[in-house]
Amino acid sequence: MDGRVSISELEKVYGEGAERTKAIEDLTFEVDGGEFASVVGPSGCGKSTLLYLIAGFLDVTSGTISVDGNPIQGPGTDRGVVFQNYALFPWRTVFENVTYGLEEDGVPKEERQSIAQQYIDMVDLSGFEDKYPKELSGGMKQRVALARTLAYEPKILLMDEPFGALDQPLRESLQDQLLDIWGDLEKTVVFITHDVEEAVYLSERVMIMTRHPGTKKTVSEINLDRSGSREEIVTSDAFADYKNTVWKSLHEETQTEVTL
Amino acid sequence: MDVTADANPRFDLSSALSLVKSIYSLVIVLVLWEAVAQLGLIHYYFLPPLSDIIMRFVELTLNGQMLYNAYLTLMRAMVGLAIASVFGVLVGVLSAQNDLVDWFFDPIIKIGYPVPIISLIPVFMLWFGIGDISKIIMVAVGTFWPVAINARDSTRQVETKLLWSAKMMGTSDRRLLWRVVMPAAMPGILTGFQIAMPLSLIITFVFEMVAGGGGLGALEIAGVRSFESTQVYAAIIAIMLIGIALDRLLRMARGRLLHWT
Repeated sequence: MDGRVSISELEKVYGEGAERTKAIEDLTFEVDGGEFASVVGPSGCGKSTLLYLIAGFLDVTSGTISVDGNPIQGPGTDRGVVFQNYALFPWRTVFENVTYGLEEDGVPKEERQSIAQQYIDMVDLSGFEDKYPKELSGGMKQRVALARTLAYEPKILLMDEPFGALDQPLRESLQDQLLDIWGDLEKTVVFITHDVEEAVYLSERVMIMTRHPGTKKTVSEINLDRSGSREEIVTSDAFADYKNTVWKSLHEETQTEVTL
Repeated sequence: MDVTADANPRFDLSSALSLVKSIYSLVIVLVLWEAVAQLGLIHYYFLPPLSDIIMRFVELTLNGQMLYNAYLTLMRAMVGLAIASVFGVLVGVLSAQNDLVDWFFDPIIKIGYPVPIISLIPVFMLWFGIGDISKIIMVAVGTFWPVAINARDSTRQVETKLLWSAKMMGTSDRRLLWRVVMPAAMPGILTGFQIAMPLSLIITFVFEMVAGGGGLGALEIAGVRSFESTQVYAAIIAIMLIGIALDRLLRMARGRLLHWT
């Protein structure tokens, strides 16, 4: 399937001279087309930097990032980012936010409208088309951001702690909504989070990053039976085991942080 | 039915009351003014009764003098402000976007902004004379700074993630300015206009007082010279009304343009 992300010997250095800091060091990782992969790590480990590098917002210092074998050159519509703080255009309505990418792509107006409506319905925001972002709650804003990114149909979704600012029940409902959408649309997802439970619940694989400079520490395959309800999944022994494994690996990193 | 019939007059009453309350202090001051002047506690030349000033205002309006002078002041201020707006936004936005432009303009803005522009009136008289052109150029130069600085700072403060969002959806660097930067910076740019507007009136008014050539400033100073203090105050009322009206207009425009904020 399309949408394979290959990261090879990636290094990212910020600043120069005395202010030089290495954010990411020697990171090699591959996400298959259609796979749901999460990245967890202690704060400051460069996981957001990794995401912005994949998005093409930042330039790599050395190493390569390819999508389906082609090295990326800056941002592109094959990848779509969902930011933690939504980054919606405040001067555009919900509907106009969602049509933005289609406008840039030159999609005719009528087609634009029907596509936008389809994605607005998908994230359960019908009836809010003419609202401005300031009139929406955080959860609604994040659904608009998701619809806006889905609407121009990138193969790869890059999500930067998208539910981090939301309360628990809302976060869970958006997680399930995201899983449904992922199941329907067959996208590759790279999901950044610091929440171990969220990573295990959503992903097929979880990469744990080391603390400063960030690199791949371990990768856990998550083979959960996801046919049941959320309650069945999160109360299962398998879920607890995966969670413990990831948590322990992450905890070693946060311990290092404390002893420093 | 009853509820709405009951609610309406009550609403009107409370809003009327709040209006009265909001100008309460003003009414007291005006009544005191009229009383003090009528009782002769202050010499007529210093402070004529409000009613006399209003009569003079009406007289000047009816004989066309007030409208003509108001037109001159308004025209000079607005043409100057329009020129400053175009150049100010241009320089401000370019400074925020381009290091070379910023390198050039930053020191100029740092020096130029704090200069009390009115102190340059004599220089402008030397260079450009005392006509409309001289006044318009002075207004343009004086109001350029707040427009440029607000445009520059608000352009700089556009969130990086908004720019990234647009780029990931296919907006080219060249189009980014119109698609994202300008709309996102619009609140700050309009704030610049709102600061520059009263400044444009002040500069015009003072220049007219100093150099003549008609306008409300000249009308006022003529009142002083001919010992007609009612005319002095009538001219002040006129410039006040213009200032208030323009401020309201800009606020309305802001509300229209920025209903999303």
